[in-house]
Parts: sequence; C-alpha cells; structure tokens
Amino acid sequence: MAACTPQGPNLLSGFKRLTRFDTGLGAQLPEAYKKFWREWKIQQPTAVHYIPKEGRWERDPVTGEVRAIQNTPLPLIFPPESDDGIWGGEGIIKGFQKRHPQKRRVPHFWVPVLRRSVVFSAILNQHMSVTVTDRAINLIHDNRGLDHYLLKTPACDLRSTLALGIKRKLLQALQEGCPALNDSPTKQKAVYSEYSKYLEQYTPEEVEWYGLTFLEAIKKIQAKIREESKVSPHKIEFRSKLIEELKKANIKAVGSGEEGEGGLDDTSNIQATSSWFSKVNPFGKKQET
Amino acid sequence: MFCNKFLLPRGLTPISQILPANLQKRTTFILKRKWQEPLRKKGYGRRDLRAKNFVYDLVEDTLVKKQKNLSVTLTQYVESVGGQGEVISAKPNAAYNKLILPGYAKYTDAQQTTEKKDIDYAEHSSPFAQRTINMLNRITLGVVMNKDVPWVLEPWHIRVSLRKVGFYCDDSCITLPSTPIKGPDLDIENKDFYVTITINNKEKTELKCRIHHWSTDPSNRLPYVFEHWKQESEPLNIPSDQV
Repeated sequence: MAACTPQGPNLLSGFKRLTRFDTGLGAQLPEAYKKFWREWKIQQPTAVHYIPKEGRWERDPVTGEVRAIQNTPLPLIFPPESDDGIWGGEGIIKGFQKRHPQKRRVPHFWVPVLRRSVVFSAILNQHMSVTVTDRAINLIHDNRGLDHYLLKTPACDLRSTLALGIKRKLLQALQEGCPALNDSPTKQKAVYSEYSKYLEQYTPEEVEWYGLTFLEAIKKIQAKIREESKVSPHKIEFRSKLIEELKKANIKAVGSGEEGEGGLDDTSNIQATSSWFSKVNPFGKKQET
Repeated sequence: MFCNKFLLPRGLTPISQILPANLQKRTTFILKRKWQEPLRKKGYGRRDLRAKNFVYDLVEDTLVKKQKNLSVTLTQYVESVGGQGEVISAKPNAAYNKLILPGYAKYTDAQQTTEKKDIDYAEHSSPFAQRTINMLNRITLGVVMNKDVPWVLEPWHIRVSLRKVGFYCDDSCITLPSTPIKGPDLDIENKDFYVTITINNKEKTELKCRIHHWSTDPSNRLPYVFEHWKQESEPLNIPSDQV
C-alpha cells in the first residue's frame, strides 16, 4: 500500500505533509538556503512577550499538585509593516482581556509602540532611517552597535526582511573587505578586523543565500537554471548547421577543383555533392511529371 | 545654576565604574495566560488551545519603566559635555541621538576605565566654560548703586550683582575698566559699560553692565522701568578694556 502513495515507503514512518522544499522549484533550492530557512522559521525565537518558567516541574502553591512545565509561546502576528522596520522580535498579540470576573472577556490587541529613528552601520558606513521599537534600540545598545546586533542575532529573532536584508548586505560587504570605507584604509582595516569573526560562521554559498524570502530564493534559482541551460531558437541552430554543411561541401569542391575544373562559387559542385539541392533549383531543367 | 537646554539634560556625571550590559531585556508588553494551556503529551505536537487560553493578564509594560543610563566614551571634545576620552553616563535617548549618531562618542568597552589625566579638553579649561561664556554674553547685568551716598565702583559690586542673577564668582575674576566709575551721578544712569570676566583663569569674556541708582527712601527712587535690559541705551563714555 505504501508504494501506491507519492511518498512511497517513507509513509511507513508516518505520513509527512509535503513542504515547500519538496515540490517544484523549491526542491531545487540548495542546502544553504534551507539552513537559513530553518534558522528563520523553524528555530524557537527568544521569549519576548512572556517570561518562560525555569525547570521541568512546578508545584501548585495551593493544592501541592505537581505539574510539568511546558512553555507554550504566545502566538504573535507579524503584519506586512513589520518587514519594513526593525522590531527586535516584538509582534502584535491578539487575545482577550478579562477586565471583570463577572463580565464577558473583551478582545484586545497588544501592539508594540513604533517610532522612527536612525541607525548607523559602521561596515556600510551609512545612516539609515528606520521604524524601530524601544526594544530594538536597547538591543542595539546592548550589542554595542547595529552591526554587532544584526550579525550576532539569529534570523528567528530579527524576523523582518529589512533586518535580514541589511544583515545579508553586511556579510557581503565583509566578504569584499568593506568597500564602503575605501577612502580611509586605517578605518577600513579596523572595522574589518572587528567584524570579520562573524564571517567565519558562514560559507560563501550560505552568504549568497542568506536573508532571502522564499519567493526571492525561487526567483534566484530560476534565474540560475535559465542561465545554466540557455534555450536558443531552432532557426539559429538549423542555420548554423546548414552553413557548416555548405562549408564542408565547398571544402570538398576545393579539393576536387585542384584536380580539374570548378571553383568555390561554382553551383555545379553543390549540385554534384547534394542531390536534393539540384531538385529545388528553380533554374534547373523543368522536370516532367 | 546653569541649566543647559541646548545639548544634554541634567544628570550627566562621569562614572568610574562601568557595569557589564545586561543582555536579557524586555521593553514591551509582558503577558501571562490567565488560564494555563493544557499539557501536551510526550512526543505529540501542540494541542489545540481554547479561547480561554488566549485571555492574557498584563505582567509588566516596560515602556513606562525608567530606563537605565547609557555609558558612552567621547571621541572628541563636546561643548558642555566633556573632553575626548571621557566616559559619560547619560539618558539613553540623549546619548544615542546627540552623541553616538553624530559620531561624537562610541559605546564604552566593558573593561574601559579612564583617568582624569587622559581627558583632552582641546584648549578649554573645562567642557562647561564655553557654556558659561555663552550665558554671560546673553545677559545685561543691572548694577544697582546708591543714589544718596557717594561710591566708586568696585569688583564686589559686580560680584553681588552677578550673584543676584545666579552667577557665583570671586572678585579676582572681575576686571573693571581702568577709568574708575564714580557716583551717584544721574548722567550715568542706565548707561552701558563692559567688565571682563575670567573663567578658570583661562577664558576671558566681556560682560555688559548697566548702572541703576537706588534709594532707600521710596519717595526718592527713580521710576520703575519694566524689563530695562530690552531697552536700548548709550554707552558710558569711558575707554573699555578690550579682552
């Protein structure tokens, strides 16, 4: 029975839903991108909106009942706007408030306070105006700068495509030796020596695929495949074939012309070598039907 | 005495000990489930939660909490803040927006300690001297003298007048014009002259002063002039000592 399913004998170890990396172009994505994806979407992010309990068991203070500790994270919502800023792992919480014991619960959204601020990247030598939360700015302070914060923090805590995009640019700039600081070589050297330790965690291929959304990755692999297997029209292919054939014929004619009559442009040689060509010659003898 | 509304808020204090940064930080809403979620079985995924598992209590809103000061090291002399190499502890937003982002300062290393001799004030006696000069240049000092008893202007008159408007200094800081100013003389009433103030025995600045005659007898007093420093006046005809 297992052989009848698309998963084949893999079904024996339980049914597994096909993921985006199992079908279509997604299946062709390299392991480098899958690694980034796991870091971004699968890895458990740091607890931001709740305080995780420590230990494995806890005792109820009233009843004395022992209960296992399972820290279930609060579900967060990340609107499209979150991708345009650096929220430092914060998100929107959708839930209820119980404001009075005898009243019905009230729906409530806890939304982070956003403000526009400026961040500075030493590697890119650039100030950037971004939407941030206070937590993001505090994290930048704690890590002593935007570059350290982005390069140290895993993708699951950065979350937004903007932050990941900047991180990707930082890694690429480090690979090229900080080209933004070409004007001041001493500063360039100092910055490179300070940040190059982060580059050791990634291979060049991983840097190439880091920080891309799934759609961007698909477009990238598509472009790569097209580049590798270029399709040229049959018209060009056949024409070049024909030209080659003609050239071959002429060379033969040259060989025969040396012995006797005939030049390079003599059509009679072509007629002699290729019988089908003489049939289509409009100036040839009209064939009787 | 000098509240600075231009650069940094009050409370800038050089600190000798820098504590390591606490990395675990939450500046946001911290919530707690009012009713705990059901336990999931070992080896199974997340259980479906019920609506009541999404009722949250607010544990803390860290946005309204007072934030700790940020310690930064100045990379150059900054007026009314400090000299190059000085470690400054300031409110985080002010330190970030006014010192770090323009490039006047960088984050302090965890092990960094600066001694007083390392600090470079770039030809200033102190980072606050220029601020004092600015404030002295802004005011017109009213020097109130007696209308009935003869007097000759002395440095302590200027010192007392300065103290009335909130500046404290010694007589040695004040250099009067070489020509003595004598009174009472209603010809010099409300006329300007300049004295030279020396700050920290280094910086010198001119202070604009204006004589006003005052009598202990109320009937003998000159009429009250509202905001005399806003009115134009003639200079006193004495050669002033240029700085």
